[in-house]
Amino acid sequence: MDFLNITDEINYYKGMYTLRNEVADYLFNQGYSIIEPSIFENYDEFTNINTRIDKKKTVKLLDNNSGILILTPDITTGIVNKFLPRWEEGQKLKIFYYGKTYKHDRNGIGENREMGVEIIGEKNANTDNYILNTAKEIISRYSQNYLLEVGNSKFLKGIMEACSFKKADHENILDILFTKNKQELEEYIFGFPTTDAMITLSKILDLEGSFGEIKKQLEGLYLNDLMRQGVEELVKVDNYMSTITDNMIYDLSMVSELGYYDGIILRGYIEGSNKEIIKGGRYDSFTRQFGYDIPAIGFTLELDELLKTLHKEGRR
Amino acid sequence: MNLTIAIPKGRLGSQAIEMFKAVGIGEVIDENSRKLIFNDENLNISFLLLKNSDVITYVESGIADIGISGKDMVMEEDADIYELYKMNIGKCKMAIAGIKDSDIFKDDSIIKVTTKFPRLAKKYFKSKGQIIKLNGSIELAPILGLSDVILDIVETGNTLKENGLEVFEDMYQISAVVISNKVSYKFKRKEIKEIIDLLRWEDNNGKNN
Repeated sequence: MDFLNITDEINYYKGMYTLRNEVADYLFNQGYSIIEPSIFENYDEFTNINTRIDKKKTVKLLDNNSGILILTPDITTGIVNKFLPRWEEGQKLKIFYYGKTYKHDRNGIGENREMGVEIIGEKNANTDNYILNTAKEIISRYSQNYLLEVGNSKFLKGIMEACSFKKADHENILDILFTKNKQELEEYIFGFPTTDAMITLSKILDLEGSFGEIKKQLEGLYLNDLMRQGVEELVKVDNYMSTITDNMIYDLSMVSELGYYDGIILRGYIEGSNKEIIKGGRYDSFTRQFGYDIPAIGFTLELDELLKTLHKEGRR
Repeated sequence: MNLTIAIPKGRLGSQAIEMFKAVGIGEVIDENSRKLIFNDENLNISFLLLKNSDVITYVESGIADIGISGKDMVMEEDADIYELYKMNIGKCKMAIAGIKDSDIFKDDSIIKVTTKFPRLAKKYFKSKGQIIKLNGSIELAPILGLSDVILDIVETGNTLKENGLEVFEDMYQISAVVISNKVSYKFKRKEIKEIIDLLRWEDNNGKNN
């Protein structure tokens, strides 16, 4: 953030301090422990895991052996890299952190403040619901006109596996899904010999809205085990979330630029803001690169965007 | 509906406005007036008349919920928006052209490319092209020796022909697209889809069909 005069800047820091502490206090009282994330990541390690991230936008620097580091664009990756090599069997972490992420944007190097929440090492029927409830409690505190949007990466993964595209086609299709361009998707898919899985893929952009709407659209479509698993996880989410909020939407075509999600994906929006306020999801398979199979789920809260929106509405 | 729609000024915009009017929205728009905002209070829709290249900026920033833009601009800007519907209007192609019968395009040397779409040109030519950005009358550049080829949109090809140029390679088919702000789409999905259904109906049944 840049400010013309000092008073505005001081006020911004004050607002950020208050907001940060409110959320931190809430999380602390809910039994989350605080940690301090690192701001450096290894460039190669990071881009190998997060294949969809725009490499040009990462902020690079050199260590004293001329190895390339980046200022972290995503703190969760750093947390996994930090804790997993030392993981002990049966360990459970329920943590939160405050940190900054960095990316090149149109105005130079963009700094972004965020608060993150992770539960690592525990997975039972309630863990997904628990984290979704934490997200809902935080976002609803700052706006009544909020939306929580949930997808499941297993659905898309399942269907893409069934279609077995080449790598380049796979990436192109994800890019098309990212822009929700249905006509282009159909043209692209029907350039291949048609299978049931491809017909379902061509309709994936209709699988959005309330869970009831999605269920109706799913009737008669091809489903494999992984896709079915994805849908069943969302049924559980909807059964629970519909008891605590009316502000839920779902999107089965959701694509994340972070490649490690493995199960539910979560986003949160508030009216008056043009960006995602909450971003997160389950990333169990992410831990596999360290030789463990440890369940993990979390989300981040975009503090700068939230404060800007509250300020615009005269509430901060 | 509480929706803000960005429309480009010019020929594409006029065609779009005609379509909106045909399906019963946008009656309030008067293209002969100098006003740039028109509010349809009954339907609760605002229309913004903007410069062609600014539609994407207004939609990406969320000032407008949806907008109509050429696919050429959408590809050039690479903005974080949804492309919800490809319309039947604004059809043309993006192509590479140069002086008729010249063989510069085929040899291995680095070629000079003039264009209004520098990012697209860079992506397409990679290290083989030296990109020079122009804002208009692109066809002049090869004739006057500023560049070897041009990368531009071609509708009928008449302008090319009259200037002694010919198409060397077709790149993409272009048409107008309905674009949407990503967050607006979450909150106003039903309304936005309703508008698109109307435009689709008009595309299939109206005079553009």
